[in-house]
Amino acid sequence: MIKADTITVCYRMSRDKIKSIKEYLVALVKRKLQYDEFLALDDVSFHIKKGEVVGIIGNNGAGKSTLLKVISGILRPTKGSVELGGNVVPMLELGSGFDFDLTGRENIFLNGSILGYSEKFLISKYDEIVAFSELEEFIDIPVRNYSSGMIMRLAFSIASMVNPDILIVDEILAVGDAAFQEKSYTRMMEMMSHGTTVLLVSHSIDQIRRLCDRVIWLDHGKVVEQGDTAEICDRYIQSTQH
Amino acid sequence: MKNIATRICAIVFAAFLALGALFYLIAGDSLHFTADSTETVSAKAPLGEITQNEVLQQSFLCEYDTLNTLTVTVATMGRANTDVIRAELIDENSDIIYTVELNTSSMKDNSEFVIPIEPAIENAKGRYFGLRLTSLYGTKRNSVTFYYGNSVNTGRVEIPVEIEDTEALYLNGVRMLDEDDRPCSLCLKVGGINYHWFGQYYWLIYAAAMLLLALYLLRVLYCYKNNKKNAALFLVQSLYKYNFLIRQLVSRDFKTKYKRSVLGMFWSFLNPLLTMSIQYVVFSTIFKSTIPNFIVYLLCGIICFNFFNEATNMCLSSIVGNATLINKVYVPKYIYPFSRTLSSGINLLLSLIPLLIMMLITKTPLRPSALLLPFGLLMLFMLSYGVGLILATMMVFFRDTQFLWGICSMLLNYLTPIFYPETIIPERFLTFYKLNPLYHVIRFVRMILMDGVSPEPKAYLLCFLICFIPFLIGITVFRKNQDKFILNI
Repeated sequence: MIKADTITVCYRMSRDKIKSIKEYLVALVKRKLQYDEFLALDDVSFHIKKGEVVGIIGNNGAGKSTLLKVISGILRPTKGSVELGGNVVPMLELGSGFDFDLTGRENIFLNGSILGYSEKFLISKYDEIVAFSELEEFIDIPVRNYSSGMIMRLAFSIASMVNPDILIVDEILAVGDAAFQEKSYTRMMEMMSHGTTVLLVSHSIDQIRRLCDRVIWLDHGKVVEQGDTAEICDRYIQSTQH
Repeated sequence: MKNIATRICAIVFAAFLALGALFYLIAGDSLHFTADSTETVSAKAPLGEITQNEVLQQSFLCEYDTLNTLTVTVATMGRANTDVIRAELIDENSDIIYTVELNTSSMKDNSEFVIPIEPAIENAKGRYFGLRLTSLYGTKRNSVTFYYGNSVNTGRVEIPVEIEDTEALYLNGVRMLDEDDRPCSLCLKVGGINYHWFGQYYWLIYAAAMLLLALYLLRVLYCYKNNKKNAALFLVQSLYKYNFLIRQLVSRDFKTKYKRSVLGMFWSFLNPLLTMSIQYVVFSTIFKSTIPNFIVYLLCGIICFNFFNEATNMCLSSIVGNATLINKVYVPKYIYPFSRTLSSGINLLLSLIPLLIMMLITKTPLRPSALLLPFGLLMLFMLSYGVGLILATMMVFFRDTQFLWGICSMLLNYLTPIFYPETIIPERFLTFYKLNPLYHVIRFVRMILMDGVSPEPKAYLLCFLICFIPFLIGITVFRKNQDKFILNI
């Protein structure tokens, strides 16, 4: 279950990007250190029960990704709190922990450890990961020499090896060629079953309609509406057409 | 898990007991007293023969609790002389408190001669004494003389020293002046012993610390059972939880560092050796350094400084360089600089091997005091991690930090006695100079490896404090700012 209580994330953006001490001091002396307050999330509260699949919709810049970051612990909210029951696996951007000078094998362990897997778990799942990624022949060459499709396949295989209590997904990932896309989609569906609580962000309303029990509609950092999937999706589509 | 917690506590406690006792054995006499002697001015010229009834008088300040030797540099003109020199020690009230007659036949030409003071003079610290040397039977061609000077040697250059009136040399009651009319002083080394109260109370302190540790461990166990928060518990738990990740990050740093280089890991050995060779050639031939066992002296300094430099520079970029990861996955951010420092630490351990080899080659005796090295390395690690945390934080907000630190570390390189002896630093800057934590660490390492003795108890405390303070500042600064990192990278 996920319980979000009045989450507010406020970015302080300095008007002119100050990146050096000199600029900072000059600005300080001139009293020109001005900030624009930007509310990425404004008083967002919701409650997700165990096993629910909840979709988050909204236009670009509505605060969807920020919300996912807050829930996965990457970003601390300015105000409010998040309560989580169980381990969280964020599938936000795959392969961000890859080191291109290391081999595929080494990267499986590096990336796995970053995702919080234990050593025992990784060793036991190692063959499965390699088999799923279909990279048996290339596992001992540096990732630098992989094609982008191969990298995504490996990354997906590592990230999808767990059965988390809470899964956080930024767009359903269908990676690689057609065959692998289908395989990864199936794997994703598999992860979302077994009573996993899922928080899903997608721009594909079709997907949301198909998968989600409930929908939260965000706009400019505020919750516009939350509730039944069909109803809210309809209203969202209407609002975008105007 | 419960058993593990109890077991860890037991191990910590046993380790404390064993290390405490072992430390007493290794450090030994150094905990009770330190025998030391002052440096002398460098010999400029001999005074000329001291014949019958000629008198030399020289005052000096005793810096030690007990005064037990005075060492002068004599010249016998290459003869066997039969003269007798009477040495008298005079206190502040001009009373003669000690007299000894020295046979000149036992003196060697152009070398140091030790005047023993037996029994040693207690409570001598901070007192001025006078040494009066009188020739009893000296004649021309059957007498000795003494060296004097008014400068100190620093490799190739002689730096003049101002000699105060109270420490000037008087020959037959007349103040001795050199050709530039500057006062001179006898080549005199004052030897003595400093006592430390720490050694006396060692076992008492040991018992008290044992008690405190036991209480603390019980508290930790209690917190563990009742799921309460505790700093030590939290530290161990996160180390346990993230130890796989830390190992992976360290091995990543290590693998990628030498990937695609032909010699690979060998560079860890070669790098300090090559740096040492260059500096050795430069400073021993061009600048004529007079430091004994210069090779090991240099290598100790280079290895310590290199570690500090590498670790801080790697920490500097640890947060900014891992921006993509920090943006996507939650991992305690302390881990990034920590793993960087740790991988530099492995490099440091590897570079101890060439140091060991050089010590064997130069026949530097390896004494039990070398076992104290882990203390020095731990302090160095703590210091580097602390400074690294500060730099990593600054780097997030100001990218100038990397350039600024480049200059700062170069400055630090020259402010640390790596290739020069600390004696060339003028007295008045010494307090400021000693604020450099690296000075204390390197001094510690050199002392246990080259002199084969443990430093005085005060040195441990100083070394710890001066490394712990940056560490504490680093942790605080990092913790206060870590939530803002993500908005700035």
